[in-house]
Amino acid sequence: MAKTILIVDDSESIREVVSFTLENEGYTVLVAVDGKDALKFLDGTEIDLVITDLHMPVMDGIELIKHIRSMEKYQRIPILFLTTESQAAKKMEAKEAGATGWIIKPFVPAKLIAAINKVIR
Amino acid sequence: MSNNKQHKINSYLTFKLGEETFAANVSKVLNILEMTKVTKVPKAPPYMKGVINLRGAVLPLVDTRIKFEMTPTEFTPNTCILVLDININGESVHVGALVDSVQEVIELDDSQIMPPPSIGTRYKSEFLEGVAKIGDDFVMILDMDLIFSTDELSLLKESVNEEQQQEQGNVG
Amino acid sequence: MDNFRNKFIEEATEHINDLEGTLLLLEQDPENKELVEKVFRIMHSLKGGGAMFGFERISEFTHNLENIYDLVRNGEMFVSKDLLDVTLAAVDHLKNLLDDRKSELPQTLDVHQNLLAKINNILESKNAIAITKDINKDKGSTNVTSAIASKTATYYILFQPNENIFDNGTNPLYLIDELYSLGQAICIPHFNRIPDFDKLIPTQCYTYWEVILSTAQPFNAISDVFIFVEDECHIDIHKLSDYNLLENNEFYGFIQQALKSSNDIGIDNLQTLASRINASIMVKEKKTDDRLAVSKENTISSIRVSSEKLDVLMNLVSELVTTQARLSLFAENSNNNELIAIAENVQKLSRQLRDIAFSIVLIPIENLMTRFQRLVRDLSQELKKEVQFVAEGTDTELDKTIIENLTDPLLHILRNSLDHGIEEPAIRVKHGKPRQGTIMLKAFYSGANVHIQISDDGAGIDTEKIRQKAISKGLISPDAVLSQKELLEFIFIPGFSTASNVTEVSGRGVGMDVVRRKIADIRGEVEVESKLGVGTTTTIKLPLTLSIIDGLLVKIHDTFYIIPLSSVDKIYAAEHNKVVGTFNQLIVLDGQQIPFFYLRHEFELEENNAPLEQVIVVRYEDKRIGLVVDSVVGEYQAVLKPLGKYYKNQEIISGATILGDGTIALVIDTNKAIKYFAHKYKVEEVK
Repeated sequence: MAKTILIVDDSESIREVVSFTLENEGYTVLVAVDGKDALKFLDGTEIDLVITDLHMPVMDGIELIKHIRSMEKYQRIPILFLTTESQAAKKMEAKEAGATGWIIKPFVPAKLIAAINKVIR
Repeated sequence: MSNNKQHKINSYLTFKLGEETFAANVSKVLNILEMTKVTKVPKAPPYMKGVINLRGAVLPLVDTRIKFEMTPTEFTPNTCILVLDININGESVHVGALVDSVQEVIELDDSQIMPPPSIGTRYKSEFLEGVAKIGDDFVMILDMDLIFSTDELSLLKESVNEEQQQEQGNVG
Repeated sequence: MDNFRNKFIEEATEHINDLEGTLLLLEQDPENKELVEKVFRIMHSLKGGGAMFGFERISEFTHNLENIYDLVRNGEMFVSKDLLDVTLAAVDHLKNLLDDRKSELPQTLDVHQNLLAKINNILESKNAIAITKDINKDKGSTNVTSAIASKTATYYILFQPNENIFDNGTNPLYLIDELYSLGQAICIPHFNRIPDFDKLIPTQCYTYWEVILSTAQPFNAISDVFIFVEDECHIDIHKLSDYNLLENNEFYGFIQQALKSSNDIGIDNLQTLASRINASIMVKEKKTDDRLAVSKENTISSIRVSSEKLDVLMNLVSELVTTQARLSLFAENSNNNELIAIAENVQKLSRQLRDIAFSIVLIPIENLMTRFQRLVRDLSQELKKEVQFVAEGTDTELDKTIIENLTDPLLHILRNSLDHGIEEPAIRVKHGKPRQGTIMLKAFYSGANVHIQISDDGAGIDTEKIRQKAISKGLISPDAVLSQKELLEFIFIPGFSTASNVTEVSGRGVGMDVVRRKIADIRGEVEVESKLGVGTTTTIKLPLTLSIIDGLLVKIHDTFYIIPLSSVDKIYAAEHNKVVGTFNQLIVLDGQQIPFFYLRHEFELEENNAPLEQVIVVRYEDKRIGLVVDSVVGEYQAVLKPLGKYYKNQEIISGATILGDGTIALVIDTNKAIKYFAHKYKVEEVK
């Protein structure tokens, strides 16, 4: 059964690149434009992985991660966040909030897949 | 090829220089040629007769009689050139050797070959592989490699050599 | 397969020669990245090809060298003298390894072990540095043993997650999976930390893993597996070997045993075992990735042809030229105009073909330079002298046969210069010379000849010493007056050595007499000039080619001779009595007095009774000398055939050629002939 991945990013181009890549890999892809938008998917749908940007309007990534970890259903769901190499401090903050790993921007599809493969199979 | 290493080819080619009969192992003789046109090379030792054209290659020609300290070869219809394959320091070198006449190819058992006698021959024993008796004649089996790779060394024994030199001295 | 193998040998030989040259350049310019890159690439190619074509020792041998130069390439190591020494020694060794006759000799194997040890030392000293560096980097709990990992290597990985690893959504098994995807791996899970059931918390992770991984991936690829979790685990990564240890039966067996017992293996045990295996077995590189790494040129601007084929080509061209001569002769006698036209055409074509074939076998003397540089380098070190070797005109081309026969004589002359010529630095300074001596090799064209000069700015040859020695040997009388040049000639006499002490270097019983003889074998000449305290210059004059010459066909008595056209100046007809029975051996031609030799006399033949003789005026040094022959037949392309060993003392005649009708013509070496004749007259005058 195809795994379902939720992508949370305010940038349309990122969302499109990521979903295109992942759909090509056979994943089911859900997209949300910010943290708040993402929460609505977490209610009913069975989700296997969340990929989220950190800087977003309305609800940012750190807040989203914390929120997800607080939900019993998603206590141990893998969460990857999108970040740039320079945001080392943010990385620590996101890890502490409960993220599983990260994907460094800009990335090539292979990098994205490699990172995902570390956390789901 | 023989399976037994001790058995080398026991065929010998006999030839004459003057009245004496000699033999060479056939493995040393590549070819027997009739006398052909010889190009003399200036400023060469007397036993080097010159060069001949052997199918496009230049073959040096040795006057074997002079090498054996006899008078130079006088060409007769019987005069032949033996094309020899001589081993000089591990290198195969071809040379033509003039002989007065070629006799025959004979088979000799090791038992028929006697060690070179210390007396009764003019030649140093190291140049002889042995002596064989064919009918009433003694045939001297020559170490062709050694004879044709030594430059100036005399094949004759010292005493004979001295006598010869004295003779020559007397004549001159 | 043998064919590929031969191809590899050929290619490898080229690589090795290239390597030697590159190393010598690198010594001059140790910072040069391109050179390092080239050395690395050559090692890489040798290693790959070696493994593929059954030269396992070569593969094994180049493996660590490749690693070293990889480090140099990455700026983690610098080019040291030790490294260059070992690599240069390796060059010689590699040549032996390529040679089936030598590769299994005990001394070769000794050298092999010896060099391997040295190379490993260099590598290990580097590893020590790498470890300290990584510790300083403080990469958390990840302990880095070695930074070298570009080729298959075997690693020990201890992966011990913190108990709360699941909390972050991490599944450790995925990471183990990822390790498996990097290469060949064996994983030993350990459950001994799992507590009693009543204390067990299902959301905690109690398991840890030991993984043995053989991979061609770089070290980073392994540590990257744990990138998300490195703060939540204890991770140890150690390199065990530079090859696939899992292919070793002993090692594999040991791991299987450990799997059953489920006890911790521990890095210490593994390292002990690995190093024992490393030491006791020959490393067999079996990596497939490298097998295709044999370098290939993309553009074909030149092709490789075996020298045997070239020899055959030259022989065929020679035969063709000979046959063409017959055709021309036949055509001329036939009075058939069409045949004559065809024959002329064939002559033209075969001449062009000859020229082309001839140019194919010409190679620049550049090819010899590496060996010379190497000799100068090694020998000057051995003799504790400081010497720079300068080469000029190395693009000068010579027949490959000449080049092949030139090497030994030139090496000998160089040795002489190094050993007897160049002084020790202290002595040089005392004499007001620069500490560093210079040996200069200069090659240039001169007419139909090539000149090679080797000059040094060393001590020079003491001709007075030569004089004394010649007197003591009874070669000259004490009151004889000899020129510098005549005195120097003595060094070419067999057994006449000026070195008062026989040294390891030059005193090998090979003297300048042998040099002269070997050069004479390729129709060349050697001369020495020397000035005491200033230096010595040895000049070798060589013909461009050995195989075909343009000559003048002449007849003396019943024999044909060829005089090389390159030395012919002019031809005159002269009355018989102008050249026979004269006292001074001079003839006036075009108002000039020209010394001459009547060849019938020189060759001990009876006089010609024809009214006219032909005087061939040839150049000899800076003079013009006449050679008198019976008649001139015409120009002739002579295919040279050697007279062979039986005429090795015959200097006047440099070879023979076969004419169209099968007659043999002898080729006169005019320089040597004139020298010989002149010497004879001098001796006669003295008498």
